[in-house]
Amino acid sequence: MPVERVGQQETEKARLGALKSGSAVAWRELLACYGPRLLRYATRMVGARATAEEILQDSLVTVYRTIARFDGRCSLKSWLYRAVHNRAIDELRRRKRYVDVGDDPERDYFNAAGHWQHECPGWDGMAAKRLDDKRLLIQVRDQLDRLPHSHREILLMKEVDGLDPADICAALEITPGNFRLRLHRARAALRAAVVRE
Amino acid sequence: MVYIKCTDVVAKVSDILDGEAGRLTRMRFYGHVMMCRNCRRYLAQFKRIKELAGKVTPDDLPPDFDQVMNFVIREIDKPDG
Repeated sequence: MPVERVGQQETEKARLGALKSGSAVAWRELLACYGPRLLRYATRMVGARATAEEILQDSLVTVYRTIARFDGRCSLKSWLYRAVHNRAIDELRRRKRYVDVGDDPERDYFNAAGHWQHECPGWDGMAAKRLDDKRLLIQVRDQLDRLPHSHREILLMKEVDGLDPADICAALEITPGNFRLRLHRARAALRAAVVRE
Repeated sequence: MVYIKCTDVVAKVSDILDGEAGRLTRMRFYGHVMMCRNCRRYLAQFKRIKELAGKVTPDDLPPDFDQVMNFVIREIDKPDG
């Protein structure tokens, strides 16, 4: 194992010890480090800032009250994400606003032989190079916020928040194989949504 | 070399771009893409969308963010936890 990795594990172990012993300083540091990104994640998932703030507060208080049960099998970061994620999904389901994976947008692209039955759809008939990055970035951002939550969650963690695959697997409680499959489907859905726009 | 279909290219594109595909898969993939205009177009779009998704910046924090955190800190500071 690389030396830096061992160092990180030791730091995390020490931090966890301080959190479990109830150190106010350690908890404040943890909140300062992860609070902002967790709030942003919750906001993009539920779409409403006030609801996201409630979700964050509830999740962090729960994490504080249950820290003794944290066994360190995953990183603290992924455990925090899992708490906020699960609370956000509960809230969306309670409000009947949770959207699971929709139809496969690429289902009709191919014929029985596995080849394109029509031309690969383009961006409004324009050559890709003619769409400037700024305009396309706005489209990508807008469409990301409209994707089904099961696609959105994995793209937010991977592409926007830059979490490691291992942390995402732990946060979403999925296997590495399932992570690869879901990440691909989410990207494909985002491409299809932007192309349709 | 075993020929792969357009559906295989579309299914493998994330693994290819993330460096998760083996050498043989990469050779088959790019061998097909060289010959197929639609798959070249799909790959270019997919690659661009993936890059741009990585550039989506997080939202600004609300002005009252400290109050949100203070609520949690007050809970933590309660004598009974």
